[in-house]
Amino acid sequence: MAEESGNTRVYRKTMPPSWWTRKAHYFWYVVREFSALPLAIWLLLLLGEIRSAANGPAGYHPLGGTGFVIFSVIALFFSLYHSYTFLSLSGAIIHFKVIDRQFPSWPIVWAQMIMWAIVSAFIIWALWWFST
Amino acid sequence: MHMFWWFMFAQGGVIAALLLPAHILVQGILGPLGGMPVADRHYETWVSALHNPIVKLYLIVLISVPFFHFAHRLRYLVVDFGVHEAKGMWAQVGFYGTSVAITIVTIWIVWTTAPIDIGALHLLG
Repeated sequence: MAEESGNTRVYRKTMPPSWWTRKAHYFWYVVREFSALPLAIWLLLLLGEIRSAANGPAGYHPLGGTGFVIFSVIALFFSLYHSYTFLSLSGAIIHFKVIDRQFPSWPIVWAQMIMWAIVSAFIIWALWWFST
Repeated sequence: MHMFWWFMFAQGGVIAALLLPAHILVQGILGPLGGMPVADRHYETWVSALHNPIVKLYLIVLISVPFFHFAHRLRYLVVDFGVHEAKGMWAQVGFYGTSVAITIVTIWIVWTTAPIDIGALHLLG
């Protein structure tokens, strides 16, 4: 596809709409980008639940129902995929040296994963603790 | 300014990665299915938590900051599917402006839903 711009012509290679199904790597890349949508919707639902608490006890309706639980299962899959890929990237991004030697990436990634587990455990405990 | 958006993109990614799965598991699945008692299943316990200023601050960060990450990802998802206009200034204003708007709405909702009760802090002590 060529576009006229003054005296220059810009050639832009057009990709078929199905490009992301050609390779597993492309597919999972798109899944990672797409994960933002279900997570954004889930957070907006949580915000709506918080808002409904302003309606008083009679007007408060906690999130629930089969549809919401099924959506949450789907959102959890995307959420776990985002967490795994994002925290794994830290090993590639963070670079530093210890005694003139490049520090390996695997302890950084493992530290992130352990921190994720500890934070998750604390959140689960806090959500339970506030229910008592 | 460019640095600011990259900073918010990175922070949004970190917050979503570290915090979201546990909330979705507990508030989205285990709580509604009765698998464990969760604060938001009952009005009294949920409002009691929402009175707490630390909980308020936490919820504002949990809900609003990931949207700066999501805005960037969704904008580039649109670009990757051939909509090159999504690289333009107006698309940036639309996507990142939405994340700013959601932040303002989140602060307003969390701030006004249950008045701050400093006494609720003793629950954490």
